[in-house]
Amino acid sequence: MSELATAVFAAQSGAHLLDAPRTARFAAFRRGFDEESYRQDLSRRGVRWVPRGDPAFPAQLRSIHDPPPGLFVRGDATLALLERPSIAVVGARACSAYGASVATTLGRELAAAGVVVVSGLARGIDAAAHRGCLETGSTVAVLGCGIDRDYPRAHATLAVQIAASGLIVSEYAPGVEPAPWRFPARNRLVAGLARATVVVEARERSGALITSDLALDEGREVLAVPGEITSALSKGTNALLRLGATPVTCAGDVLEAIGIEPLPPPDPPALSGPAGRVRAVIADAPAPADELIRRTGLAAGELAAVLAELELLGLVTQADGLYREVMSST
Amino acid sequence: MLARTVTHALVGIDPRRVEVEAHLQQGLPSFAIVGLADRACQEAKERVRSGISSAELEWPTKRRITVNLAPAALRKEGSGFDLPIALAVLAASYQVPPEALEGHAAVGELALDGRLRPVPGALVAAEGARRSGLTHLVCAAESGAEVALAGIAPVGVHHLAEAVAYLRGERDPPEPPPPADDFETLAGIPDLADVRGQERARRALEVAAAGGHNLLLAGPPGSGKTMLARRLPGILPLLGDDASLEVTRIHSVSGVLPPGNGLIRVPPFRAPHHSASVAALIGGGGGMPRPGEVSLAHHGILFLDELPEFQRPALEALRQPLEDGYLTVVRVAGRVVFPARFQLVAAMNLCPCGARGDGTAHCACTPERVQRYREKLSRALLDRFDLLLTVPRPRAGDLAGAPGEASAAVRERVLGARRRLREHAPQRTQPADELLTRAVERLPLSGRGRARVARVAATIAALAGADAVEPEQLAEALSYRPPVELSE
Repeated sequence: MSELATAVFAAQSGAHLLDAPRTARFAAFRRGFDEESYRQDLSRRGVRWVPRGDPAFPAQLRSIHDPPPGLFVRGDATLALLERPSIAVVGARACSAYGASVATTLGRELAAAGVVVVSGLARGIDAAAHRGCLETGSTVAVLGCGIDRDYPRAHATLAVQIAASGLIVSEYAPGVEPAPWRFPARNRLVAGLARATVVVEARERSGALITSDLALDEGREVLAVPGEITSALSKGTNALLRLGATPVTCAGDVLEAIGIEPLPPPDPPALSGPAGRVRAVIADAPAPADELIRRTGLAAGELAAVLAELELLGLVTQADGLYREVMSST
Repeated sequence: MLARTVTHALVGIDPRRVEVEAHLQQGLPSFAIVGLADRACQEAKERVRSGISSAELEWPTKRRITVNLAPAALRKEGSGFDLPIALAVLAASYQVPPEALEGHAAVGELALDGRLRPVPGALVAAEGARRSGLTHLVCAAESGAEVALAGIAPVGVHHLAEAVAYLRGERDPPEPPPPADDFETLAGIPDLADVRGQERARRALEVAAAGGHNLLLAGPPGSGKTMLARRLPGILPLLGDDASLEVTRIHSVSGVLPPGNGLIRVPPFRAPHHSASVAALIGGGGGMPRPGEVSLAHHGILFLDELPEFQRPALEALRQPLEDGYLTVVRVAGRVVFPARFQLVAAMNLCPCGARGDGTAHCACTPERVQRYREKLSRALLDRFDLLLTVPRPRAGDLAGAPGEASAAVRERVLGARRRLREHAPQRTQPADELLTRAVERLPLSGRGRARVARVAATIAALAGADAVEPEQLAEALSYRPPVELSE
């Protein structure tokens, strides 16, 4: 039962430890460490501690070659959530509207199919995937800092929403500051918790590619979302595809990769008249409102009404003035 | 000998009666102004002395001259006291018959050669004179038209000598200025016909005009945000009599009223630069508070370009006037209430570098920078915008089109919608209500957001000439809600 002592010692000494070190310093620390009162303190703060030896420790994560001594967990879901089929959705922080839209849809549809999406609570793709999940299910966020932090700060609200139905986990004890070197370590947990990893958008040298490398090292499936070959944001994902990653064209592709029967696609809403015309134009390529007006001949007010309807139906999304089609689920 | 004239000091945009008493005594020659006069007012001594000499009148020598501005507790500012002081001194020395001053107020600045210069706030001084029961206001000839608006006879003169001649009865009162044309011309306002393409933004502008909604346009530079905003006054109804007098008064006090013009009938358009201080924006400054840009935009439009670049305190200071339609400025010199019921139109880029939303440019902003840029706008402020619209940079095809609809046609529809909203505001039908409920469940839409959508939907229905709000109109209103990027 030395895992907690190891994790706390690692937090206090600023080291990254997988096992109890055989040093005099650690021995001295351990003698003075009151595990019982530390545990009470944790539970007062709503944090659970799952040591590596505990049967509740996710089997998927235990099987990687460098599992953490244990996991700090907060959130309202039970630990069984970590045993459910899971997919890591990762990608660039500075993502495009296309990437964000794809990540949101993937999150939404994977969660709807009962799959748990694991990601890193970072900006961009991570946050979009988490948000998508929250619409239809629960999700797991892995932190690269102490369990008591919400990093980045801007995602504090998102973290609260995730914790309300899902889990936030970290291998780091409360008080550990975020540091650049901890994020690759965090990525190994993201990949380790998931049966497969989907990279949505990644530059040539991206943290998301570290995650996919780690997943490959553990023999897990890696999938990538194709992007425009001229976009720097898709250089990394397109390179993965060239190396043989499975391309993702819909949530069904991802479910298939982990052997889950995709849900039958819901009947596409029958769109008649102007809504159908507008959707057909958007399906060709993302377009600003004025181009839609020019190509459909609708008045500005009529078009605005149609676009709001399409957005409500979840068929179209808008970012930076461009309307684009939401990825279809089949 | 003691003589007295009446003038009016400005307290905010209100006149306060000030009696100017001049007392000449035997004694060591001196000239003192008492009664809490500020620097510009103290300098009146030199101007009055030179002015009187230049008008070939006699400066009372070998006399001790005391001028008192009463009530003494009120701080007096500016140069408008020159003329009343000069007239009081002249009356006290019998160069002007003291009884001739009865029924007259006076306001104006003297040049060293005795010519009279107009001062800001002549309209307010004239209103004060009328309220004091006076019938004439002696003022600079340029202020004549403005004074006549207050319903009092202007005695517009070019020179102190002219004023004296008039008071001595040696010449007829100067011709009253021809009734000034209302400053009604829409000619100076750019026309919407100049805007090619931008159909969606034009529509949003029309809805904003019809409902008096606050509008936020977000888009890269060159997408025509400023161009559109500047065309808003041209599609708004002209100001009614009361509103127009109020606006003219504020502009008169601020000294930005074009000389020789009558009432301001076109809703004012104010576009302060984003470096504007809080005082410049909401009013204040040293001494007696002066109206700021928000008050100059009263009954008109306040256009804030580059909204996130404004200082945060300046933006937060906008919240009171947006809520109440007036604001209170407290300074050492006094506490003043300024009217400030304006329509807020703002523009912003989508990111600090401006390239976002522009298909031809590459945005190099980090997500953190974009986030910080957008976070400068508080939720509370964003909540005040009924209409938010992202305006991407127009593509070549949009610009090649025919000229857009002219302002006059749009204005007709806006006037119709306003009439309808006033007389019989459209109510939501049941399907529209259901759509609104569905939207609240599906979208991040707060309680305030819901009310906002409902308001805009009523305006859109009124524009369509409908008696009830149908789902299509509600759907259009939904499309002007804040985009996800800004609402989180």
